[in-house]
Amino acid sequence: MSEAQSQSEKPPMVTATIDGQEVTVPKGTNIIEAAKSVEVEIPFYCYHPHLSVPGNCRICQVEVEGAPKLMIGCHTQLTDGMVVKTHKTSELVQKTQASTMELLLINHPLDCTVCDQAGHCKLQDYHFEYNAKPSRFLEYKQNKPKAVPLGSTVMLDGERCIACTRCVRFCDEVTETGEIGLMNRGDRYLISVKEGKELENPLSGTVVDLCPVGALTHRDWRFNTRIWYANPTDSVCTGCSTGCNAKVFERDGQVVQVKARLNSAVNKEWLCDEGRYGFDRFLPRERVLTSSVKGEATSWEEALAKVTPLKNGKTLLLLAPDLTVEEYSLVEAFRERCLQEDSQAVVAYRSRELSRVEEILVSPDYAPNFQGAYFSQERLRPNGAVCESAHREEREQAYENALREVKENTFDNIVFVGDRAVCDQDLADMELLQAISRTPFTLGMLCDREGALYENCTVVLPARSILEKSGLFLNGKFRLQYVDRVVPLAEGAFQHWKIFGEIAASFGKPIVDARSDRDLTLSYLGAEPRVAGITIRQVKNGGIDLLTYVPAQEGESGESSNVEVSKSSE
Amino acid sequence: MSKHKQILLTNVNQPDQHLIEHAIKRGAYERLQKALSLDPLKVIEEVKASQLRGRGGAGFPTGMKWGFVPRDSGKPVYLINNADESEPGTFKDRVLLERDPHLVIEGMLCAAWALQSEWSCIYVRGEYAFPYVRVQRAIEQAYEKGFLGDNVCGSGWKHHMVIHRGAGAYICGEETALLESLEGRKGQPRLKPPFPAVAGYYGCPTVINNVETLSNIPWIIDNGGEAYAAIGVENSTGTKLVSASGHLNTPGVFEVEMGYPLLEFIEQECGGVRDGNALMGVIPGGSSVNVLTAEECEGVRLDYDSLKNAGSSLGCAGFMVMDETTDPIEAVLSLSRFYSHESCGQCTPCREGAHWIEKIFARIARGEGQPGDLELIENLCDQIGGHTICAFGDTMILPYRSFVRKFRQQFRERITQVLKGGESTRNPIDFEIGMH
Ligand SMILES: Cc1cc2nc3c(=O)[nH]c(=O)nc-3n(C[C@H](O)[C@H](O)[C@H](O)COP(=O)(O)O)c2cc1C
Ligand code: SF4
Ligand code: SF4
Repeated sequence: MSEAQSQSEKPPMVTATIDGQEVTVPKGTNIIEAAKSVEVEIPFYCYHPHLSVPGNCRICQVEVEGAPKLMIGCHTQLTDGMVVKTHKTSELVQKTQASTMELLLINHPLDCTVCDQAGHCKLQDYHFEYNAKPSRFLEYKQNKPKAVPLGSTVMLDGERCIACTRCVRFCDEVTETGEIGLMNRGDRYLISVKEGKELENPLSGTVVDLCPVGALTHRDWRFNTRIWYANPTDSVCTGCSTGCNAKVFERDGQVVQVKARLNSAVNKEWLCDEGRYGFDRFLPRERVLTSSVKGEATSWEEALAKVTPLKNGKTLLLLAPDLTVEEYSLVEAFRERCLQEDSQAVVAYRSRELSRVEEILVSPDYAPNFQGAYFSQERLRPNGAVCESAHREEREQAYENALREVKENTFDNIVFVGDRAVCDQDLADMELLQAISRTPFTLGMLCDREGALYENCTVVLPARSILEKSGLFLNGKFRLQYVDRVVPLAEGAFQHWKIFGEIAASFGKPIVDARSDRDLTLSYLGAEPRVAGITIRQVKNGGIDLLTYVPAQEGESGESSNVEVSKSSE
Repeated sequence: MSKHKQILLTNVNQPDQHLIEHAIKRGAYERLQKALSLDPLKVIEEVKASQLRGRGGAGFPTGMKWGFVPRDSGKPVYLINNADESEPGTFKDRVLLERDPHLVIEGMLCAAWALQSEWSCIYVRGEYAFPYVRVQRAIEQAYEKGFLGDNVCGSGWKHHMVIHRGAGAYICGEETALLESLEGRKGQPRLKPPFPAVAGYYGCPTVINNVETLSNIPWIIDNGGEAYAAIGVENSTGTKLVSASGHLNTPGVFEVEMGYPLLEFIEQECGGVRDGNALMGVIPGGSSVNVLTAEECEGVRLDYDSLKNAGSSLGCAGFMVMDETTDPIEAVLSLSRFYSHESCGQCTPCREGAHWIEKIFARIARGEGQPGDLELIENLCDQIGGHTICAFGDTMILPYRSFVRKFRQQFRERITQVLKGGESTRNPIDFEIGMH
């Protein structure tokens, strides 16, 4: 909790000690969260900050002075003067945690060798951390069904389940679809879909993230890799303008798993199935890796020499909604310095309908950074009065107008910046495609060799996919976040900013001298007054809300009202 | 015929007592009329003065519980009669429900008036099919006679009552699991606080009392709290229904005054231990209490304090007698089967511990005990007790611990005898695998 927020609302605070350290937190904070604030980690399975508290796993028990027995850290709120001892200082707590771990494992199949969760499993982690002793259990274990599909996305292993009910609570409380339940009593318990139902909702994959053990796995990604062979990257989903925080695992150039990251201000810890299972849909199978002119492969230099028509005539820059903020701002520089005055830059934006469950998380668009484009084009400072829906309407209007003008052939040149420069549904519009092919000069900075745009461009320059770039994204609610590169680079493709830079340089009007994405981000953060004082670290860790951000004045640091530290709560 | 004061069982042997006309002839619903003429707070005062304690097991003072109910919450107050009676060895509520349902209903109405509750429910265990039918019929009759409905006895006060049949789970006797079940969910105890008196049924103030507790209320209204408090002994006032079972010549349900000597109860009321056998031990309070050996029963009286001092508890007085022919290992195994079957499975220590302990007891009983088993059981009991959501975990371990402690000799013999004799059917490889 940052200072700025307590200034604005001033919730009553309570002060207590945890393991001898003084802690001050807002009233109502539970012991787990309070301890986190002084970097004491209390283990938990069933607790989740955005779900109800069932208190069933019992691993978070702590000693509270004066209480007749141990208290659970998830359900017990810190009160003034409370003296709390965790496993760091209490032997009783240590004993209890060790015993809870032993009990959780007696019926567990211990099939870590074939379990997808191995390596990122809380049973493994906590066992080593809090018990690490051989079991005293000599009896036969309970057997339960394994490999039970709950729906099209999720597979259950009944034996691995520890009955934390996180998955059940998610479907009951968040999606309110209630497809699954914990059946039976005692150690016969079993997660199961309810009669006549299947786990089918737009956020279904989230239950796998929430499952602290290997009981729930992704049907798409089962057995595809041991997690320690995959490279994890903290990034942001670019499916829509919600900008859900995700951890993306890559192996051999493939996305092998995507997990949500906790960010209370954005996606809590949820992801939609479309974003998760389709994370690699922006990485086309057939890549554009060489430049081409009228369908003939050429060298980079030859292709650059062919873009001179841009200097004259009226140009439309159709921008994909997944360029970075830095790129949008460079596009503006390019338009001003290298193009004719009547040229336009328009971001591809179309709204879409959402189902009830999608509305919980998903934004009504496929345009992850349309606000970033707005931010760069209008030199205003967003403020609290900015109306999100008005923005959306404006963008859509501008995009539709541009397409209409394209059809009327009022442009001499069109530049397609990115594969998503034209929305999918418009690519099916034959009238539009014909108008494009009639346009005297078209340039594509593209990635997908099978897309409709590729066929229709005079000159094509090979561009990188958003999965191969890093930079700033502004989500629909004006939170500045950081999209990080998640897959290795394809040889021969360049970032859009680099391509613009090269064209501008070939026109004798250089606009950028960065060598890497990071360089560019740093110079952008250093040069743009509206984001002055923001660091890459901040945008990576939860992001900055630009609606309330007060930019740094010379020599000071900026003030942000709610930096959320993103820490997984698996 | 008992020499004890009869408050609850007065009419249970009248074959037509369940029919409202006959019950009214014997005075039923008169106490309700009297209660309605009193200020509700006055009724609570009388119950407080009676020092009546809850008969469901925990022995919590009833008047005090009613006093916790906020009167100005703006929410309806609910009264729930806990007729889940699933504690092993307990069958006293059944007698009242079957034989004198109008006493139960009248008790609930008096309590509801005191609490100004307009809706009450009897939660009856699923297996009680006959009591269910009896009470259901009795409720209908009470509606017909105007004791229930929009204008109770013409007083202008409205009260409605339903009976709900559980689906057969011991845990649904735990008051918050009962509420979950009643609200249509899986019967699993809730985290406390909040307590039901403040936020119970659908988040509204709710009083949950046992059948026997509520059945005492009409007598208290009739005779006053003081008179009730004069019966029995200090801290344990009134009478208590005891469900006596096991190796007795005449088992059954008996109403005795609190403080009645335990051994005398066996001899006088229950006809003594069967076949003139010697007593091995007694579980006095329903299975979830410590077992008492025959020696420990000396001088003990049937009341809260005396049994507590003897190291056990009155509980709900499910009085189970074991004679010298009893195998304590089989006895506790049988209990552990019950608990592992009935643990709701919510919290780790109870869910896993209940089964583990059952399996160890079963192994010992089969003659496959290992040295260290008893210590392991005791250690597991320590890890369960005090670490669970509800009292199931806390009380399940009481018979385990006390059997293992008090009959340790028998346990030891069983374990070592087999080790020596080598008759074990255990495959040594199982043991090896289990170790890792
Ligand atoms: C596991 C468990 C089972 C219980 N079963 C019953 C029961 O069957 N009947 C009952 O009246 N109380 C039962 N109780 C006690 C209730 O939770 C509650 O304390 C009682 O109904 C309150 O009524 P009283 O104050 O009149 O005793 C049970 C408690 C636990 C922990
Ligand atoms: S399947 Fe996973 S999330 Fe669901 S209850 Fe079991 S352990 Fe918890
Ligand atoms: S102690 Fe046992 S019965 Fe009670 S909530 Fe926990 S698992 Fe359920």
